[in-house]
Amino acid sequence: MIEQSAKPSPSPAENAPATVSVEELAARGRERRRRQNGFVLGAQVLIGIALLAGMYALNATSGKLIMPRPDDVLAQSIKLWSDGTMLKALGESLTVLVIGYAISIVSGILGGALLGGFHYLSRVLDPYVNALNSTPGAAFIPLIIVWFGLYTEAKVVLVWNAAFFPILINTAAGIANANRELLEMGRAFGARRRELFWSVMLPDALPSILSGLRIGAAISTVGTVIAELTMAQSGLGGLLAQAGNRFQMDKYFAVVIVLMALGTAITALLRYAERRIGRWRITS
Amino acid sequence: MTEPVISLRHVGKLFGDGQVRALHNVSFDVRPGEFLSLVGPSGCGKTTLLRIINGLITLEEGSVTVMGARPEPGPDLAMVFQSARLLPWRTISGNIEFALQLRGHDKAERRQRALALLGAVGLRDFADAFPHQLSGGMQQRVGLARALAVEPRVLLMDEPFAALDAMTREVLRKELLQMWARRRMAIVFVTHDIDEAVYLSQRVVLLRPRPGRIDEVVEVDLPEPRWERDPRPTPEFTALRNHLWDRIHAMAREGEALEELAGAFPMEAIEKPRR
Repeated sequence: MIEQSAKPSPSPAENAPATVSVEELAARGRERRRRQNGFVLGAQVLIGIALLAGMYALNATSGKLIMPRPDDVLAQSIKLWSDGTMLKALGESLTVLVIGYAISIVSGILGGALLGGFHYLSRVLDPYVNALNSTPGAAFIPLIIVWFGLYTEAKVVLVWNAAFFPILINTAAGIANANRELLEMGRAFGARRRELFWSVMLPDALPSILSGLRIGAAISTVGTVIAELTMAQSGLGGLLAQAGNRFQMDKYFAVVIVLMALGTAITALLRYAERRIGRWRITS
Repeated sequence: MTEPVISLRHVGKLFGDGQVRALHNVSFDVRPGEFLSLVGPSGCGKTTLLRIINGLITLEEGSVTVMGARPEPGPDLAMVFQSARLLPWRTISGNIEFALQLRGHDKAERRQRALALLGAVGLRDFADAFPHQLSGGMQQRVGLARALAVEPRVLLMDEPFAALDAMTREVLRKELLQMWARRRMAIVFVTHDIDEAVYLSQRVVLLRPRPGRIDEVVEVDLPEPRWERDPRPTPEFTALRNHLWDRIHAMAREGEALEELAGAFPMEAIEKPRR
């Protein structure tokens, strides 16, 4: 990439009719990209409009219990945001989400590093990790309720239980499968185990760890809503249950939109982090 | 005569719980400042020998001493691999600093020495680039600079130019000879390219496969510096390379190739007549 540079054709006389200036080529490229972007954006807007129109149509034919009118959803959103209900719920949900996710990050990466770094440990614990990972997270809800109650602690435990395993397994796999050639290089230059771990294994595992974190974040959001629906109703999940139980579908949709935005924002944030940290990787 | 830097005595190595014999009774010395090549067909244990010298693997039979001690990856040895094996998340300079860091140099000195070494291989402008931004030949130069940075008394090279294109390979051979003339560390150079071995080294150890053992040690008595007067068109060079090729053809005639097949297939399958 560095070696490439835009050079004019060496013998302009030979292929004079075909010569194009660099500026013109760049302009053409810009134009082509602009048109493509415009097309993609236009299609997206069209689909959005179609969805809204579909909502109106469904509302007109089947009533507001099946589908609320989009403008009612908007009105409800404004109401919930302005009287502080939504903000309070969002705060409660984020508390559970952030604490549970943070604990699963710390414990998942530490545990994964141990499993990945110590071959025997991972061989011994493998059946247990597999069994726990294969059990549906929801199966633990009654046990968590008995052990930790119905409030924030129990919800945090549920979120941790859901997000811990993808982080653990991805970290362990990334470290255990660190590039053998680079490890041999490190050893040949006299690196000891500790130096190999910090300078070769961990950085080499970083992409794998980050994808574990991304999966964990997505599962954390799911876990938060499930906890708020099944334990003491609180946060966005509680709001969802409240609205649903009373068939207030406009309110219900207003909450769903917030959850959508929350999930999207978390994923976008982690994508950004992945790109920042992985900037040494081949990008084209 | 001075003490050899590397001394191998009756070295034997077995793999796969003793099922496969990789090396058998290999003995040779490397003198200080000597350029020695290990050549031979694939499967003759060239790379295994380098790993033994570097202390990366242990051996079952015989003994190895490197500078009077048991081999151990450490400050007096450095290795150049077939691929550059650079850490992709570190810059070019960072990769060289990595090797210096392992040797306990402090931070400011590491950077300074890395830049000096990059200057020596003509890559100073790329100090802050990442490995993937460099061509294969440039990456291999960085690998060489990293090995030279630790100022080793012994440089181990495992087919360092095999994966490069012919032109880059030729340039890097010349640079290696110049670098060696200036620093005079001992070099153990593994290759399967007979011409390359004769062109670069003072002695060629020819190995034969299955199990890997020494076939012949050939002194290369060509005038130096060879990057100034290329010895390859001379009759002396041709005689040496023809001699080595004759030995390799002889190996094949002696049924070494068949022996190689015997390792890959059950014996009956080969010994039985076709029909």
